[in-house]
Amino acid sequence: MLHSMSRNPEDPVYNRIEAARLTKGLTRQELADKAGVHYQTIGYLEREEYSPSLVLALRIAKVLNQEISELFSLTPIRKGK
Amino acid sequence: MPKNNKIYWFEGVTEKGTKALLTDETSKFRWLRAQRNRRILVVVMGLGLILVALGSYWPTFKANLELSDGTELVVYSVSAIFVILAVVWGYLLLRVSVRGIADAPEELLDERQLQVRNSSFRYAYYFMGYIVLALMLLMVFGPEIQMFQSEGNDGSYLVIATMFAFASIPSMVLAWREKDI
Repeated sequence: MLHSMSRNPEDPVYNRIEAARLTKGLTRQELADKAGVHYQTIGYLEREEYSPSLVLALRIAKVLNQEISELFSLTPIRKGK
Repeated sequence: MPKNNKIYWFEGVTEKGTKALLTDETSKFRWLRAQRNRRILVVVMGLGLILVALGSYWPTFKANLELSDGTELVVYSVSAIFVILAVVWGYLLLRVSVRGIADAPEELLDERQLQVRNSSFRYAYYFMGYIVLALMLLMVFGPEIQMFQSEGNDGSYLVIATMFAFASIPSMVLAWREKDI
């Protein structure tokens, strides 16, 4: 495959950023501003097409008041409540 | 917004201009966000670069057109100006289509943008290597296969096309590969 947004296509990082963001009532832009990234990067993260660095993962977890282990996983996460 | 508009001399951009592109301040170029439209732009840009490069072979073309000397000059000049302006316009559109990521300074990009930019430059580097290889082969074998005519072909348009290619290939790669810019 020519292109993959994941850092390592064989090890995607699953997350529940979108659910946590919506629970907090934040838009992608607002979360992006607080985490210091472009709003599209939040979109890529929510679609699990990009695996964040540890620093970014920690920043997002802090903004969303979540433990990093609750937000990110190496195994698929059941979406929704 | 910053009080001072910092100039990044090495990248040839300003902080204000880069942030305007990154944040999509002007909505009139939204049509360039679709990958299909960006890919069409990349193909058109590639054809434009080939046309500029072919300017070096005008003496061969004009011999086939059988025009008077004055008309030849006018057709040549107007065509050259039109094609070069079209390529410059294409280059500017390409930059807008990828939000200027390929030319933005590192401190204005986030980690994902840096990753895709670096990846695009890697592919652009390979492409440029092939172009340089093709130019070298042309230098070696061009005279033997009589591609270079004695009349007026100094290869200047090849150089111009190569310079445009160097400037635009990173953005072309980015525009082609990214599905969501």
